[in-house]
Amino acid sequence: MSYGKGSIRRKVVDNAQENYCALKKEKCGKGSTNNYSCPQDVRGKGVKMKKPLSIALAGIMAMSLTACGGGASAAGSAATSSGGTEGASSTEAKAAADGAVNLTIWSPTDRESVETWWTEKLGEWNAANPDIQVSREAIDRSDSYAYDNKIATAVTSSSLPDIFYVDGPQVSYYAANGIIVPIDDYFSADDMKDFVPSTVAQCTYDGKLYAMSATESSVAFYYNKEMLKDAGVDVEDLDKRTVDNPITWSEMRTIAEKCTTGDHVGTHVIMDHGEGLPYALEPMYISEGKDYINDKGDSAEGFVNSDEAVKTSAFLAQLIADGYANVEPITDEFLNKGCATMIGGSWEVATLTANADFDWGVTYYPVADDTKKAVSPCGDWSAAISKDCKNVEAAGKFMQWLMSTENVATYASAIAKPATRNSSYENETMADYKNFPLSLMVEQLNNTAVPRPRTPSYASFSTKYAEAMTNIFSAAASDHKVDEAYIKEQLDSVAADFTEDYNTYYSK
Amino acid sequence: MADPNRISKRSEHVAAAAFVTPTLILLIAFLVVPMIYTIYFSIYRYQIMRPNDITFVDIQNYIKLFKDKDFWHAFRNTLYFTVVVVPVQCTLALALALLVASKTRGVAFFRTMYFAPQLTSMVVISILWTILYNSNPSTGLINSLLTSIGLESVNFLSNPRTAMNSIIFMSAWQGAGYQMMIFIAGLQAIPASHYEAASVDGATGFQKLIYITLPGLKSTIKYVLMITMIQAMKLFTQPYVMTKGGPQNATKTLVYYIYTEGFQEGNFGYACSAAAVFFVIVVTMSLIMKRITMAKD
Repeated sequence: MSYGKGSIRRKVVDNAQENYCALKKEKCGKGSTNNYSCPQDVRGKGVKMKKPLSIALAGIMAMSLTACGGGASAAGSAATSSGGTEGASSTEAKAAADGAVNLTIWSPTDRESVETWWTEKLGEWNAANPDIQVSREAIDRSDSYAYDNKIATAVTSSSLPDIFYVDGPQVSYYAANGIIVPIDDYFSADDMKDFVPSTVAQCTYDGKLYAMSATESSVAFYYNKEMLKDAGVDVEDLDKRTVDNPITWSEMRTIAEKCTTGDHVGTHVIMDHGEGLPYALEPMYISEGKDYINDKGDSAEGFVNSDEAVKTSAFLAQLIADGYANVEPITDEFLNKGCATMIGGSWEVATLTANADFDWGVTYYPVADDTKKAVSPCGDWSAAISKDCKNVEAAGKFMQWLMSTENVATYASAIAKPATRNSSYENETMADYKNFPLSLMVEQLNNTAVPRPRTPSYASFSTKYAEAMTNIFSAAASDHKVDEAYIKEQLDSVAADFTEDYNTYYSK
Repeated sequence: MADPNRISKRSEHVAAAAFVTPTLILLIAFLVVPMIYTIYFSIYRYQIMRPNDITFVDIQNYIKLFKDKDFWHAFRNTLYFTVVVVPVQCTLALALALLVASKTRGVAFFRTMYFAPQLTSMVVISILWTILYNSNPSTGLINSLLTSIGLESVNFLSNPRTAMNSIIFMSAWQGAGYQMMIFIAGLQAIPASHYEAASVDGATGFQKLIYITLPGLKSTIKYVLMITMIQAMKLFTQPYVMTKGGPQNATKTLVYYIYTEGFQEGNFGYACSAAAVFFVIVVTMSLIMKRITMAKD
């Protein structure tokens, strides 16, 4: 690789130099006069000025080529390996008897261990099943919504793959629009009991199972023990909390207040400006007493804009108004010691274990002071069979295999997320989940996890809610105070937009 | 003598057709047909996930659009961005071009530096500037500089009063290099004899700029103003990457509005009506711009 890059750069520079020499000769051949205003001479000067420029430009282009090559090398190798599978599987498909079914899967591009998992497992499947050949395309996820845009485009042009991964809360949206088909037939009653209830709930729409996930996610309260000790917070008390005795909002606020210094803020509540907002913050609303949407999934009025929701949003906005939390979502803020605590995803455990050079702890998702009701987020990308799949039977068979106890375990281990099947935790690859801190995530999933609203209008809701919260937070940050009337106005508009979307497309 | 002429004319027509056809096919396939589709879908209620289930709603989408205050917000933002960024960016580009058009040693280095942002993807630049603008001095370089000289840190991107201006600043910085190159080409087309004559007559540098350089660049300036304006109207990448149209809609532009309505929320028919209106707005603005620049002649 490096030789190739070097030669490209040399070639570009050489070419530029050749051109330079050629131009110089041409000019010398013509023989310039001393006449200053000779137009030929002027043109010559123009060319002369361009020469060093062109060399410099060629250099920059070469540099950007090398830079890209360097940056992408990790991703490049992953792509090569997945490309390898596709190549291998397609040749196998050709070798297989006529009439073999070819299935295509789309799933988000992920870290190298996940890409390798797909390569190995699909190799195994394709070798064992000459009649059903499966290949996977890794689709760039980029931010929470970009992958969904790709699906939307494929729907318009009827070019959906047979199986595709979909983020948990989008299952209802796709199911209601007939983009994905029910898959109840491929999972036995015993299977269903083995999956954690939150996964089954998130993947079910209108009484039918439309998708299945191998992995789950959770969110908890992380803290930097060194910073907390410096601020005089009782860290041992935090370490000893249980699922029945989590910290409350006011405790969280006190810790954030004590830990805010000139160097770092006290806490971190904003994951991103997209799906991360409704995902990570929903338990706060449920704990206070009202979810975003009603249970039937057809109304947001009196839910996302209820007094409880205004109070919850105001609590979060107050943290930002007081300067205890940043208004911008900063990647790895906790890891880089920009904040003392954070509301962070279960995947942070792996990142922190590998990279943190400080002592940290994690405890259960905070609860509202009045109700003390423990709730935690959940949901992850799930596999679903598309309406464009010609061989639902074959795809279903593959899904069964994909969601087997062993595959769920190894996939979950590769992607560093909790597995959805309780039996998968017996697999040696999941051994870490028996111990703290990962055991805490599994405990939350089995006891306090609540899936995001199951409504066909979720895509519209998520966008509008994320926008409203970004507005509320930015107003709090710039005014240094919280205006509840403004919060109410913003949440009212979320509810109104939900009603409009639902009534336009889904009410019967 | 007449015959070969006729033949060459005919063959010229054939050659012209042969050269134009590929472009024409591509233009029709990727510009004209989608445009017709956009107008067609704009009178339907069309959920993006249900392409086979669309309902005719005549001009309902347009009525809803003109009543939507978010749309007008996006319209105002786009207009503001265009009105500010076009003169700023073009003046900056012209100034840079005049600076680096001189024969001083090492000028190629500066030309390359000013042009370099053009060679990088806008997405990459937006991500970099998001970090530069970060409100936390320990992360954001600009705020780190501000606090080190005793000033208070600024929430560049999360304050509705500064967000759009922050995007304007980085956009002008990124875009000026391209216009600079066009201006340099324009400057080189001005005969040096004009400057020579002016020098003989005792003209100052400023007089040369006003009476030779600017008139000589007239057509270049017209062209640069027009393309910068059209590009500015299409602002999308920066708000998409840096602010998601926020905070409080301060950086929501028309194209970003069309994108969120159509793709994120799935109101495809409605987004098409917004796109059709956007098309009319851009054409109108271009015509106005043409009027203004023609009037100068």
